[in-house]
Amino acid sequence: MWMGLTLLAVESVEAAEEAGGLFDLNATLPLMAIQFLILMAVLNAILYKPLGNAIDERDAYIRGAKSGASERLAKAEKLAAEYEKSLADTRKEARNVIEAAQADAQQTAAQKQAEAQQEAASKREAVQKELDEQKAAALGQLEQQVDSLSDQILGKLLGSAA
Amino acid sequence: MLNTLHFFNASLLAKLEVGEHYYWKIGGLNIHGQVFITSWFVAAALIGVAFLATRKVERVPSGLQNLMEYALDFIRDLAKDQIGEKEYRPWVPFVGTLFLFIFVSNWAGALVPWKLFHIPSGELTAPTNDINTTVALALLTSLAYFYAGFRKRGLGYFKRYIEPTPILLPINILEDFTKPLSLSFRLFGNILADELAVGVLVLLVPLFIPLPLMVLGLFTSAIQALIFATLAAAYIGEAMEGH
Repeated sequence: MWMGLTLLAVESVEAAEEAGGLFDLNATLPLMAIQFLILMAVLNAILYKPLGNAIDERDAYIRGAKSGASERLAKAEKLAAEYEKSLADTRKEARNVIEAAQADAQQTAAQKQAEAQQEAASKREAVQKELDEQKAAALGQLEQQVDSLSDQILGKLLGSAA
Repeated sequence: MLNTLHFFNASLLAKLEVGEHYYWKIGGLNIHGQVFITSWFVAAALIGVAFLATRKVERVPSGLQNLMEYALDFIRDLAKDQIGEKEYRPWVPFVGTLFLFIFVSNWAGALVPWKLFHIPSGELTAPTNDINTTVALALLTSLAYFYAGFRKRGLGYFKRYIEPTPILLPINILEDFTKPLSLSFRLFGNILADELAVGVLVLLVPLFIPLPLMVLGLFTSAIQALIFATLAAAYIGEAMEGH
């Protein structure tokens, strides 16, 4: 049933009217060649050219994007370095300003303190001086009063005695 | 004419015919109809897939475009390796069509159940199963490398026949004949042998047993397409660079 074996026996005994066999070369050959060339032309137009262009364009696009990206990366790195530097500068400057302000403030405080001390001293001196004056005046008055009192006492004593 | 020996009643699916052709007569010329039928199928398949793949070419490929770009990349690499970075581009269509046509032919012969389609005589098989096809492709390859050599180097192309020494002149001339001969017979023999081996095995053990041989057949079919295309590209490259 399955065994329909048709074997070949390459005996071209009755090959008179019709050619055949494995190595039967005929007009198939040139027609096949022409057909192949046509297929090549068609595939060139609808496959190799459009897809080749697509691949090349993509390559160019990727190359461009890549170089652009690396350019941008370099720029970004440069900017970052710049920012870093300016940040460091700014920090240094800020520290300087703070230090200057602190020194300034200290100086001012010291000056104010000195002034205040001086003022206090001069005020104390003035008060002392006034006190001394008043003391002297009071002593003078007291002496006067002592004199008059002693005069009165003397007069009374003498008057009563006389 | 071939004697056909029928051991048993011929089954439709498991009959082996070798050297029988389905003749068409065109203008008094005999041609093998079964070869043209299957080759039109192959060409239609290639053109159809190519058309679908490039209908809307996108930068980010998907589906068929991806597949065909993979194939095209493969072909370009093949041509680039054999012909060289500078000269390979004009030869991509030729080498690529060789590869695709032979590959699809071989696989169509192995995968498409041709036996289901009846033709008056002979049977439908891979186009590469016919010596006319392989000789046509091999002769085109010869023409291609002659054309490449002459276009690149003009009449200086003939110098390669006496290089490196004039003593090798006969061998160098002989090479121009052995190249197409080996190309065509290698392909023809491999495909025919594979189909015959599978056919005989199917005849003897119809189920499962022939499968490994069929897989091997697919592998050798692909390899044969690669070999043909690679050698064609190598011959073209060799003709252009000289010795």
